[in-house]
Amino acid sequence: MHKPLEILNLSKNYGAFKAVDDVSFALEEGEIFGLLGPNGAGKTTLISCVVTLENMTSGKVKVFGDSILDKPKETKSKIGYVPQEVVNHGYFTVEEILKFYSGFFGILRNQEKIDYLLNRLSLDVHRNKKVKQLSGGMKRRLMIAKALVHDPKILLLDEPTAGVDIELRNSLWDFVVELKKSGTTVLLTTHYLEEAEELCDRIGVIHNGSLRKVGRTSDLIQDLTLRKLEMQLSGKNKEFNSKYLVSQCEESIELEFPSNLEIGEVVKDLDLDWSTVKDIHLKEGSLEEAFLRILNENNANNSTNNSVERDC
Amino acid sequence: MKTQNIYFNPFLMLLWKEIRRYCKVLVQTVVTPGINSSLYLIIFGVSLGGSIDVGLEVPYLAFLISGLIMMSCLNNSFANTSSSIISGKFSGDLEDLKVVPLSKQQIIWAMCLGGITRGLVVASVALTVGQIFYYSQYGEFMEIKSPFSLAFFLLGGALAYAKLGMFVAFLAKTFDQMSAVSAFVLQPLAFLGGVFFSLNNLSPFWQKISLFNPVFYLINGVRHSILGVSDVPPLSAAVVTVLSLVIFHVLVLVTLSRSEFKRW
Ligand SMILES: Nc1ncnc2c1ncn2[C@@H]1O[C@H](COP(=O)(O)OP(=O)(O)OP(=O)(O)O)[C@@H](O)[C@H]1O
Ligand SMILES: [Mg+2]
Repeated sequence: MHKPLEILNLSKNYGAFKAVDDVSFALEEGEIFGLLGPNGAGKTTLISCVVTLENMTSGKVKVFGDSILDKPKETKSKIGYVPQEVVNHGYFTVEEILKFYSGFFGILRNQEKIDYLLNRLSLDVHRNKKVKQLSGGMKRRLMIAKALVHDPKILLLDEPTAGVDIELRNSLWDFVVELKKSGTTVLLTTHYLEEAEELCDRIGVIHNGSLRKVGRTSDLIQDLTLRKLEMQLSGKNKEFNSKYLVSQCEESIELEFPSNLEIGEVVKDLDLDWSTVKDIHLKEGSLEEAFLRILNENNANNSTNNSVERDC
Repeated sequence: MKTQNIYFNPFLMLLWKEIRRYCKVLVQTVVTPGINSSLYLIIFGVSLGGSIDVGLEVPYLAFLISGLIMMSCLNNSFANTSSSIISGKFSGDLEDLKVVPLSKQQIIWAMCLGGITRGLVVASVALTVGQIFYYSQYGEFMEIKSPFSLAFFLLGGALAYAKLGMFVAFLAKTFDQMSAVSAFVLQPLAFLGGVFFSLNNLSPFWQKISLFNPVFYLINGVRHSILGVSDVPPLSAAVVTVLSLVIFHVLVLVTLSRSEFKRW
């Protein structure tokens, strides 16, 4: 079986500047893959190369085994693309735009699907409006509808939720999950890391044009972050001593430890009188921490030891 | 059951979209050029025309009508493809063409065919308006000597200008560049292309210059088809038409491969 999307040693230079630098990864069928990176990392450039908006400098992109340059029509018809910037459409109405777009993908009669998408994305009442008469969030949804008229096997979402309110973001993500369940493979970029953590099966982190890390979301968090254990204690306590201890205050202590350790192991050294424990809080590491860690790894001598004394 | 044909339908839809685009603003795209033609006919054809002799043994009004038909045909074919691309660059929906399964050749032909339809519609408007003026002056309609050759020159000219419009619009980096090409190249070529005067009205120096103006041949091709007389033989007009078609096609193809579909 061919992978839905394979990116092989893709580079894109603007003059001497390497916007994308030798990036390789592949999407697995039916997964949601999050491409994360700070502003200017090269996410949009990478996606633009995949949809041939930009000509790559070198490398190869394959869609279900076919190179996008050798079989442009076959490969393009399997991709739905939502650009980062909203596109205007002059005189045409929402419904007309979707009809044109269906036709561009070879489907001349597509009313049923168009109605479904308009309905699903709550654009039904706006079907006769022009793009400039829509609000920002509606425009976003139109972009998404446009990308879905031909039931693409692969959906590329470049920051689909930028400038979208929280409620709409959630409903968009619900929709993305629904698409995933129906077999669509999704590649998305976003700056909302919490949402990416919840949504994405796998994450790729790109920085200054090169791919720094690819892995399952849960694995990245496990490998790159520490779990935090906070305990509220009563009464006066001795000075605890443990290599996992990061802070101790009058009535509380905080421990940090890698996720592969069992809690018993961690608290063993404390020699704790459990009757003094009032409450326990366990905080898991987040994708955000893992993300920042990946970005900082390359800033050579940046100490990752963040055991700064904390205020009580 | 919906059928999907990614090889031909995208082309059909782009052609349809190009046509729908100018139909949305019919006043601007068809009515205005019609009014322009009428104004030229009133000013030059009817009021000044009596005192102009083009030396071709046809009334000046008939001479002018044949020129105006071709000029409006060329202008509107050019305007359609170029404004479609320029507005697409501005709003960003030109990018769409690159993302969907359309080949370069399909993009060229769909847009050009769209441009041709507008050129022909406006040419028909000019012809109709011209016939009305002619009838009001001479009590009969102007006869068209050779409809087939007229179709050839109108279609050929429209297609060549549609391609030229695509070429210029794809190259243009700003609105200004686009209008500069119109104002400094196309308008002069058209107005000096023999719409309003014959070689017989010019000094020998300007006669020589005019023979280097391709538009002069395109317009005279149409004139010969309608009136049976013209400043240059129809064969050389046909050669220039075919040459422009080939040259502009190559130019468009090259720019399309190189240039950006990305928005401004
Ligand atoms: N046409 C261009 N010419 C020159 N440099 C460019 C061009 N397009 C993008 N770049 C540069 O390439 C780099 C990557 O840009 P890109 O848009 O891919 O970033 P991004 O990861 O999508 O960022 P964001 O999160 O802000 O959308 C940036 O430094 C940008 O300045
Ligand atoms: Mg971007």
